[in-house]
Amino acid sequence: MKTRLLALVAAIGLGFGLAQQANLKACFIYVGPIGDVGWTYAHDEARRAAEKAIPGLTTQYVESVKPADTLATVDRLVAGGCNVIFTTSFDFMDQTLEAAKKYPNVIFAHASGFKRAPNMLTYMADFYQIYYLNGLMAGALTKSGKVGYVAAFPIPELKRHISAFALGVRAVNPRATVNVKWINAWYDPVKAREATEALIAEGNDIVAFTEDTATVIQTAARRRVPSFSHYNSMYKYAPDYVVSGQLVDWSVIYIDILKKVQNGTYTPKNLENVDYWWLARERAVMLGAQVGMPINPKFEPALKQATMVVNGKRVSVYDRVMELYKDIQSPNPKWDPFTGPIRDRNGVLRVPAGRKMTVKELNEMQWVAPGVVGPVPDEPK
Amino acid sequence: MEEVLNALARALSFGTPLLIACLGALLNERAGVVNLGVEGMMALGALAGFAVAYGEGGNGNLWLAVPAAMLAGGLAALLHGFVTITLQANQFVSGLALSMVGLGVAGLLGKRYEGLPLFDHPPEGPFILGAIGLALLLAFLFSATRLGLALRSVGENPAAADLLGLNVLALRYGAVVAGGALAGLAGAYLSLVYRPSWTDGMTAGLGWIAVALVIFVGWNPLRAIFGAVFFGLLYYLQFRLQGQSGIPSEVFASLPYLLVILVLALSGLRGQQGNAPEALGKPYRRGER
Repeated sequence: MKTRLLALVAAIGLGFGLAQQANLKACFIYVGPIGDVGWTYAHDEARRAAEKAIPGLTTQYVESVKPADTLATVDRLVAGGCNVIFTTSFDFMDQTLEAAKKYPNVIFAHASGFKRAPNMLTYMADFYQIYYLNGLMAGALTKSGKVGYVAAFPIPELKRHISAFALGVRAVNPRATVNVKWINAWYDPVKAREATEALIAEGNDIVAFTEDTATVIQTAARRRVPSFSHYNSMYKYAPDYVVSGQLVDWSVIYIDILKKVQNGTYTPKNLENVDYWWLARERAVMLGAQVGMPINPKFEPALKQATMVVNGKRVSVYDRVMELYKDIQSPNPKWDPFTGPIRDRNGVLRVPAGRKMTVKELNEMQWVAPGVVGPVPDEPK
Repeated sequence: MEEVLNALARALSFGTPLLIACLGALLNERAGVVNLGVEGMMALGALAGFAVAYGEGGNGNLWLAVPAAMLAGGLAALLHGFVTITLQANQFVSGLALSMVGLGVAGLLGKRYEGLPLFDHPPEGPFILGAIGLALLLAFLFSATRLGLALRSVGENPAAADLLGLNVLALRYGAVVAGGALAGLAGAYLSLVYRPSWTDGMTAGLGWIAVALVIFVGWNPLRAIFGAVFFGLLYYLQFRLQGQSGIPSEVFASLPYLLVILVLALSGLRGQQGNAPEALGKPYRRGER
C-alpha cells in the first residue's frame, strides 16, 4: 500500500516535472504586419509551424512593433509569462540587449543582428548563395543584357545579395548589367511599382527584388517580364512569369532553438556565443518560385538551352544551377559564391584567390560586385 | 519619344488615384469642410473594393466592387460629417482621427484578404479617363450650375447662403459624403487596378499627397488634373532618373511637398489664403457671425 502511494506520488511529481519542462511559452515581436507577404509573414508562418512541431509549446506574437517600443513590448510579454522572446528585426537589436539585461532569466533571440549576451542569441537565414543561382538564371534569360533589381535599403545584407546575384548573372553573361533602384522602404507597394516601371522602361527584361511585397512580380507580369520570388512563394501572383526565387523557412531555426531550450541545452547563461547563420545546408533557405518548385517548368527549356563555361567545360545553365543547389544543400558544401579572387566594381581586390568570405565579412560588406549599376551609398572607393 | 510617352503614361497611372482623391477633398473643402481623413477613407475603399472583387476565392464581382468602395468611403465621411457639421467639432482633429481609424479598421478587417492576388482585374484606361471626366464635370458644376453656386456660397459665406434660403447643413453633408465616396474610389483603384491586391497600409501616404494637392491647385478642379499628372511625373522620375542624373532622387521625392510649401508661402505673402474658401474649416452655427 505504502509503496503504491509512493509510486503514485512519484508519478504525480514526475508528471509535474515534465509538465514544467514542457511549459514553454515563446513570444515573437514583429516589425511589420503578419500579412505583408514578406519578412514578418515568413516569421509568423514559422511560429505556427514550431507550435505544431513542439508539444507543450504555446506562442504569442505582437505585430507592427516600432523599434522604439521594443522594451515596453518585452515588459508586457514577460509579465504575460514568456520564457523565450524572439525579436525579428535588425532595428530591435539595442533594445533587445537592454531587455536581456533587465530580464536575466528570460531567453532572447534576435534575428539578423550581431549583439549577444549570456541570455541572448542571434540567428539569421541567409540567401546569398541562392541569389547567385537566381543570378545564373537571370543571366541566361535576359536578351537585352540588362537585369533590373528593386532594392529596399543600401545596407550590407542587400549589398551582399545584389552582389551574389550580379556574380551569377555575369558568370553566364559577362557583359550583362544589374541595374539597381533603391526605394528606401521595406514596405511601399507604390514605390516598388514605379521603380519596376522605371527599370522596364530602361530596357531591363528580367527583374529581381528585395522588399516586402509582391508588387515587383505583379508589375513585371503586366509587362510580360519574368521575375523571381522573394522570401515567400510568390509563384501564385504570376505563374507564367515567376522563374524561381529565394524562399525562407525560419521554422527549422525556431524549432531547433526551442527544442534546445526545452531539453536544457540552452539556458539563460550560455548563449553568449550562439549564432545561427543558417543557409541551404540547414534547409533554412530554399531555391524556388514556390516551395517544392525550384525552377518554374515553363522556363526549364530555355535554361537547358542556355550554356555557360565552368572550368573550361560548357554546361547548361540549368545543370549548373542544379549542381550548385545540390552542393549547398549537402552536409559539407564545397562551393560558395564569394570565393576569391573577387574584385569590387571599382576594381579593388576584395577577396583574395582561394579564400572564402567569413560570416563577419559578409555581414559588414559595403562594396558591390562588378556589373552592378546605380548609386550605392557608403561604397568604399 | 517613347520615353516621354512612357513617363506620361506612368504619370497618368499614378496620378489617377491622386486626382480622384484630390477632387473628393476639393469638393468638400469648396463647401467649407476640411476632411483630413482621406488616407483612412482610401484604405477603407481599397479594402471594400478588393473584398467584393475577390469574394470567396477570386470569383467576386468586379462591377459591384467600385460602388462598394465608394459606399465605404462615403460612410466613413458621413461619420466625419456628423462630428463636424452636426456636433460642430474641430474639423482638423476629426479628420486626423478618421485617417487613423480608417487605416486601423481597414487593417483589422482586411486580415483575411492580405496578400491575395487578384487576377481578373479591371484595366487602367477607364479609370484614368473617368478621373479626368470627373474633373471636367466638377469644373462645370462649380462654374455653371445652381448647385455648384450653392456649394460655393456655403463654403464662402454660410450665413449669407442661409439667409438666401439654402440648406447649409444638407449641402455640406452632401459634399462631405460625395468627397468620401471619391476617396473610397481612389482606394479601389489602388487595390483593384494599380496593384492589384490588398495589403495593410497599401495607401502609402497617397491620401496626404491628395490633401496637399488641393492646396497646390488652388481648389480648382481643372488645375487638379495637371497637378496630379505633375506629381505623378515627379514620383516616377525619382526612380527613372535615379543614378542617371547628378540630382539625388530624394530631391524629386520631396519636390511636390516643397512646391506645396512654396505655394502656401506665396499666398501668405500676398496676405490671403490663396483661393481657399472663406469659411473653410469653420463649423456653421446659425445666428453667429
